[in-house]
Amino acid sequence: MKVQCELCPKLCLIEPGQSGECRVRINIDGVLRTVVYGYPCSIHIDPVEKKPLFHFLPGSSILSIATVGCNLHCKNCQNWEISQANPEDGTVPAYNCPPERLIAEANKYQCPSIAYTYTDPIVYYEYTYDSAKLAHEAGMRNVLVTAGYVNEQPWKKLLQHVDAANIDLKAMTEDFYRQVCSATLKPVQNALILARASEILVEVTNLVIPTLNDEPEQLRELASWIKMNLGADTPLHFSGFYPRYQMRNLPATSLRTLEKARKIAMDEGLNYVYIGNVASKEGQNTYCPACKNLLIERSGYTILKNRLRQGRCPDCGKEIYGVWR
Amino acid sequence: MTRRKFVRKLAGAGLTIVAGASWFLKKAAPRKFIRAVGFKKYHGSVRPLGDISKQGKWSG
Repeated sequence: MKVQCELCPKLCLIEPGQSGECRVRINIDGVLRTVVYGYPCSIHIDPVEKKPLFHFLPGSSILSIATVGCNLHCKNCQNWEISQANPEDGTVPAYNCPPERLIAEANKYQCPSIAYTYTDPIVYYEYTYDSAKLAHEAGMRNVLVTAGYVNEQPWKKLLQHVDAANIDLKAMTEDFYRQVCSATLKPVQNALILARASEILVEVTNLVIPTLNDEPEQLRELASWIKMNLGADTPLHFSGFYPRYQMRNLPATSLRTLEKARKIAMDEGLNYVYIGNVASKEGQNTYCPACKNLLIERSGYTILKNRLRQGRCPDCGKEIYGVWR
Repeated sequence: MTRRKFVRKLAGAGLTIVAGASWFLKKAAPRKFIRAVGFKKYHGSVRPLGDISKQGKWSG
């Protein structure tokens, strides 16, 4: 008997013995099974700035996990060795780490939060959900780093146990999502709106790819959509592209392009716009949107200076959007 | 065959067809899932968890 997976908008109809597009949700005897539950292929302790999250517990360590598989197949994927792998391939070994052990590891390394990241936590939904619930019970926080390609019902359920998310908004056209990611734009926009409405901290990442989504008009439209739908305080990260996977024909994004993108977004009215993947002095720092003074100075993933006082600018007292403690 | 008998037979046949079609459609329709059930054994290779304190090499 066929099964239909209603987790993401792909709504895969899966024949017996076959998997969905994500490769990790399989029809076994008419029952949908996840083959990666409790088996992350990657588990590390990262600085939270690497996610990137710049407005969430700056300078803290975060236990970061991923399983193999992804519901998107971006031609430029930076992590394609794990996101596009099959568990059966044997090329990517996994660790036996059920949710209880995950929490114990986070405790052991004194991490205040756990990130479900690297591939996409949506495809290991059950593992993410159960771990996040358990982490909350243990007083920890949960972070999702995701493309946001998920259906409304499971997304709302998961958000109940999430504290912050960095969600990709890869472009503002359906064409880009279809041709580059084998996905669609509308569900991602919906996921972003729902996340912001659920009052978790939301940061947005846009990977700027030369010739594909770097036109000033596209960047302006993206910034304007964020401002209108998520609010001017939503941090936006313009990230530099590097030729990878099936997109090795394009050059890496220049710092100049990223700086232009940042200026466009700030001119559109966004208060916190950052540059990532490329060394940039101003593009990594947080400035007060009211008095323009420096609040957090960063170099790479290191915090050099944090002048915030109880989440406020020490000079003008403006409240800064974020989770600061 | 009287007209009444004919109508009865026709109605019976119609009901059988409707019941059969709905049974078939129910059987043919996929079972829908949001939450998948866990699988006890991993399909690929498993190794012991070592030192996780190093920063991940993956993006994100």
